[in-house]
Amino acid sequence: MKKIYIALAFALLSLVSCRSLVEEWQPVFTGKYANPETSKIYSESDLRDMGFSGTFTTISALKALYKNAPYAINSNIWIKGQVTTSDVSGNLYREIYIQDETGGIDLKLGKSSLYSEYKIGQWLYVSCADLVLGAYNGMPQLGAEADNTSTNEYETSYIDVQTVIDQHVFKGPYAEPLKPLVVSEQDIKNAISKGFTGELWGKLVTVPGLLYKKEIFALFYPNPNMPHKSGNPENRVFLSDNGTWGITTWALTKSRYISNIYEGLWDAAEVGSGATRYGPITGAPADYLKPGKILDSFGFDSHSSYKDIMANYATANYVSHYFVLGKTDVQVRTSGYAKFADERLDERILNGSACDITGILTVYDGSAQFTLIDEPSVSVIVK
Amino acid sequence: MLKRYLTALALLLAAAGLSAQDYTGGVKGTVVNRNGRQPVEKARLTLMQGANTVAEVESAADGTFQIPNLADGMYTLVIVAPDFLENQVQVTVNDGYVKNMFNLSLTSMQQVTELDDDSFAAFDMDDSGYNDNPTILFGSNDIFNNLAGYNFSSVRFRARGYTSESQDVYLAGVRMNDAVTGYSPFSLWSGLNEAMRSKETVNGAELSDYGFGGYNGLTYIFGNASSVRKGLRGSLLTNSQLYRLRVMASYATGLQDNGWAFAANVSARLGGNDWIDGVYYRSFAYYLAADKVFNKSHKLSFVFFGTPGERGAQNASTQEVYDLMKDNMYNSNWGYQNGKVRNARVRRTHEPVAIVRYEFTPSDKFEGGATLLYRFGKNGYTALDWYDAQDPRPDYYRNLPSYFRDSNPDMNRNNEYKYAWSNEIWTHASEFPGLTHINWDRLYNVNYLQGGRSKYVQEERRVDQKDFNASVNFKWRASERFTLTGGLDGRMNNTEYYKVLADLLGGEYFLDVDNFAEREFSSQAWKIQNDLNYYVANGEPRKLKVGDKYGYDYLAQVRNLSGWVAGKMVLGNFSANVGLKAGYESFWRHGLMRKGLFPGYPKDENMAAAWRNLGIEPSEEWSSWVSKKAKFFTYAAKLGLNYVIGGNQRVYANVGYFNDAPKFNQVFLSPRTRNTMVDNLQTVKTFTSDVNWQYSGGGLNLRATAFYTTINDQSKVMSAYDDLQNAFSNFAITGIDERHMGLEFGFKVPTYLVDNLSVQGALSLGEYIYTSNPRMTQTVDNSAETVMSDVLVSYWKSTPVAARDENGNYLDDVVDHYQKHYVPSTPQLAASIGLAYNYNYWFIDADVEYFAHSYLDMNPLYRTDYATAGPDYNITPEEVLYMTTQEKFKPAWLVNFSVGKSWYIQRKYQLGFSLNAKNILNNRNVRTGGYEQTRLVDNTVSRERFYRFDPKYFYMSGFNYMLNIYFRF
Repeated sequence: MKKIYIALAFALLSLVSCRSLVEEWQPVFTGKYANPETSKIYSESDLRDMGFSGTFTTISALKALYKNAPYAINSNIWIKGQVTTSDVSGNLYREIYIQDETGGIDLKLGKSSLYSEYKIGQWLYVSCADLVLGAYNGMPQLGAEADNTSTNEYETSYIDVQTVIDQHVFKGPYAEPLKPLVVSEQDIKNAISKGFTGELWGKLVTVPGLLYKKEIFALFYPNPNMPHKSGNPENRVFLSDNGTWGITTWALTKSRYISNIYEGLWDAAEVGSGATRYGPITGAPADYLKPGKILDSFGFDSHSSYKDIMANYATANYVSHYFVLGKTDVQVRTSGYAKFADERLDERILNGSACDITGILTVYDGSAQFTLIDEPSVSVIVK
Repeated sequence: MLKRYLTALALLLAAAGLSAQDYTGGVKGTVVNRNGRQPVEKARLTLMQGANTVAEVESAADGTFQIPNLADGMYTLVIVAPDFLENQVQVTVNDGYVKNMFNLSLTSMQQVTELDDDSFAAFDMDDSGYNDNPTILFGSNDIFNNLAGYNFSSVRFRARGYTSESQDVYLAGVRMNDAVTGYSPFSLWSGLNEAMRSKETVNGAELSDYGFGGYNGLTYIFGNASSVRKGLRGSLLTNSQLYRLRVMASYATGLQDNGWAFAANVSARLGGNDWIDGVYYRSFAYYLAADKVFNKSHKLSFVFFGTPGERGAQNASTQEVYDLMKDNMYNSNWGYQNGKVRNARVRRTHEPVAIVRYEFTPSDKFEGGATLLYRFGKNGYTALDWYDAQDPRPDYYRNLPSYFRDSNPDMNRNNEYKYAWSNEIWTHASEFPGLTHINWDRLYNVNYLQGGRSKYVQEERRVDQKDFNASVNFKWRASERFTLTGGLDGRMNNTEYYKVLADLLGGEYFLDVDNFAEREFSSQAWKIQNDLNYYVANGEPRKLKVGDKYGYDYLAQVRNLSGWVAGKMVLGNFSANVGLKAGYESFWRHGLMRKGLFPGYPKDENMAAAWRNLGIEPSEEWSSWVSKKAKFFTYAAKLGLNYVIGGNQRVYANVGYFNDAPKFNQVFLSPRTRNTMVDNLQTVKTFTSDVNWQYSGGGLNLRATAFYTTINDQSKVMSAYDDLQNAFSNFAITGIDERHMGLEFGFKVPTYLVDNLSVQGALSLGEYIYTSNPRMTQTVDNSAETVMSDVLVSYWKSTPVAARDENGNYLDDVVDHYQKHYVPSTPQLAASIGLAYNYNYWFIDADVEYFAHSYLDMNPLYRTDYATAGPDYNITPEEVLYMTTQEKFKPAWLVNFSVGKSWYIQRKYQLGFSLNAKNILNNRNVRTGGYEQTRLVDNTVSRERFYRFDPKYFYMSGFNYMLNIYFRF
């Protein structure tokens, strides 16, 4: 019997000795897990622990730091603003807009489904040091240092490393969503004339009395896996300067894009861009291109019509619809990934009724452009 | 000691008293270890006549024993020795002679007996389509298996390179391999080591008395009450690799006078381990069995067992993650919730098995048996599920430093600032537990903000079987020279695949919509419904609560019927056996949920009208209802020849041909969404042959085998998320051919220098290669259209390496040589050599192992012209080499050591221990498996080529030990 006791003692000892008992017997908690506490909502006083100096810079003052080149913020600048956008409808992707009384800005938070964590109306505090203020075709953006790659065409990049987000973006209290600012044609003209620092850019606004111009703009890359920048006009198809091209929806989902191609709505659209025009999409690359590397890159597609190539590599696509206020054009640009992409423009708008549009007003190469945040039944009100 | 002799004396006296006269008859012999033929001392021999004990003696140090003074008649001799399986032999004493039984061999209970499903970490293969089931080799009486089973298991060695599906496992007469997947079923009884200890094993294509078997051996487990060792046994086991503690107890009555035998076995396996965080056990096991022998010829057995419990799983990561974490055993499956560790991937199972078996032995010449076996219960596996929210996995590729910087400019990744911060997180993991592990607190907080609708939930994927088996088998010794065996097996399997909501993670409900479909069909609400009928009836998707079924729900229905017969002929030293088998197998899918993506047609005019109202478009393909039936006629034949030379040597050879049905999970393209099967279904055709030489005697034990096997026309379906298609993608591959050939050698030889010290070794040297380029069809869950239709996987069997010109540049159209591609996830060279010491119930084993030629599982996408050409459709030798080369793992050395001893205490108790220390060199860089991700990097600068995603690997544990202390009352 003594041997048994010795052996049992030995067994127990060896069970205990490896690591501490507590850790070993609960390596994974297997009981009922308690719900975690709600995460921290920062007040302005909390921010002092994070290095906040006590004074916020206004968004317009921040924008003023931009001088035609990306501006790497190297001082302890903090801004605050209320969230005005949500990516729930899918029309925005990896960006969020905040605004204070002086202006709005596009914060390039490079995560998806931001609406799950940032609520419209909520205050955000942004520590701007180490971030970069840049422009995208004239539109102010606050992001991270730009990628240092040969193809990069952006002045900033997404803030997508979680620690960078955690060090720069602090969630503040929830508040009532901001009311859109109702603007006139003159306001828009003023903003355009101010360029980058125009106060309207990035703000939630309502433009009343817009009329549909029955004109659209869209750019397709027949094979998006091939080079398709401006140096490769053989892989670009523009729909512009010719009415609506039969597009009556806010944007083109993949399936709508394919059905429009096969309905022949775009048969007259030409391959090419700028001065280089090859011919309609009913033709094939081999009809337009000389034998060589460029034609070769179409591979076994080179004798297929561009229509077939487009359908074969179809993706969702952006569409810009042109509206006009007085004499000023305002585009409404919508992503093919928006949940309302397949929704038709209201019949009355197509027939010439005026409408009030609410969304984020941005600037693109000197013209005003809308991004709808809510679905059109809310954001586009027919008079 | 004195007491023991007195008992024996009393028994002898009693026997003498009964007979009241002296006899000249008797029994004598030598008890030896079946493995090595060494004498076994202190074996207890009990001679029974009917239920009466006639005599009890103990073997001497040289293993000899003698029982004198026996009347003529039939006796049963029961031999029991510590660490050996109990043996019974029939003895006939006649004409007053002392019958010499010569060598009575006992099968050593493997010193390392704790080999079952638990010996292998459960690797989480996610939805990769790969599987990772190692073969479990049991020692029993084969010297090679004895050594390889234990020493090679750490690297997930697969015997002869075969998959675990090909290993036939029988329990009480029924083949237990999973009906749907074919996987070996050891997990059903892990933790019941005592109850399932008695087994018989044959290798390769050898014919077993118990079933026809395949080409990868057959393990027959008795599992009934009388096969459990008599008495009360208990053991305590601690283990640093899988769980902290196993407590096990068993009790068996043995066959009692009233014809009943009862047995019970229970165990609990609990705790974590030294190596992999988040992996834990909370598993229990129970076993109850009864045998009733009615008279000599009828026996009924009842068995009921189950292993309820849960087990945390381990995940694979890329080498980048392991390097950053400085830990090749990093597990991304767990994270902190309120400071407590929680694993997202937990296997929760309880699949009881009920067995009734009847055995009929009307004479010495005939034995027959019939079994009814039913397996049921639940098999669940939890995972995170999310709707329109960030990927919660900490090692998601966009969270890693490599996503922000890559030295290849073509990859277009260069952002020093973000690289530095991302690197900071992963190299200071303890400061960022919420980023390097699952951040449960964040998931809850996201859910809190959604007004009740959870974004993140934990799902439980269920694979619940109703598996009914009926089987009959017989053995008829027609004459001294001819024995006929045979059987009939029938199976009805109904496995329901579905998922249930396991945890709302702080929310109030979850919506039953298809996340992936929504990305493409967001504007067609009906099309993204997982349960279209509910949506049509209620106008909205179901708000799911914990426990609700959702996502998908279908039955895999499998029916099998087969019969086999085998004859064995003995002519002097020569024997031959021939076996034939024929069967019918059919299976089909039965969808139980109508999905928006593939609604089929409305069942009546009412439904049609409702569909028109909602704009629902019927489809040719069905998510619900019954698929076509796949039907197969299967057959197989085996021939074995066996020649015994002298008393010690045996030469034998086997050949076999098998025409087997593919498995359900190998032919349905996307069973979660629809009824569609792979076109052109083929049976799997296997030819196998082996030649063997075995020697045992004089303490020597050797086996050498050469084998050659071809396995043709295999099919497989893999699923993975495809970036290019933005959808869940399925790759159906058909026409995979393999060739396995090689040598096995096992030996145990006394040193002759030191008594009781032997040298032992095992070698498995093979070449397991792919010999065909299969064809592949790629589909996406979202659409009935094929992405790639029946394309050739041109580089599956080999990579052509182009010749180079004098400047070292590859020549476009000149192939220098072909690099073969190998069957993955097992070393093709495994060798072990060591010393074994056995004396007076001490055993000490020390072995060194070497493993090499192990390869990574390949994905078919990387071996297509599409992937090698890249976006420019131009296939260059560099692209072919880069994209199609199969990764070979580095060789590895291991050192293992075991020691054990058992004692008899006061004759009443037996106490013993075994301590196994594995990987004493603490080698933590041994890759045992993994898989390639089925994704391509396509957004390059040049737009000329694709790049691979980094593969994911599994590693062997570092130093680990297992201490087992057992006692018997």
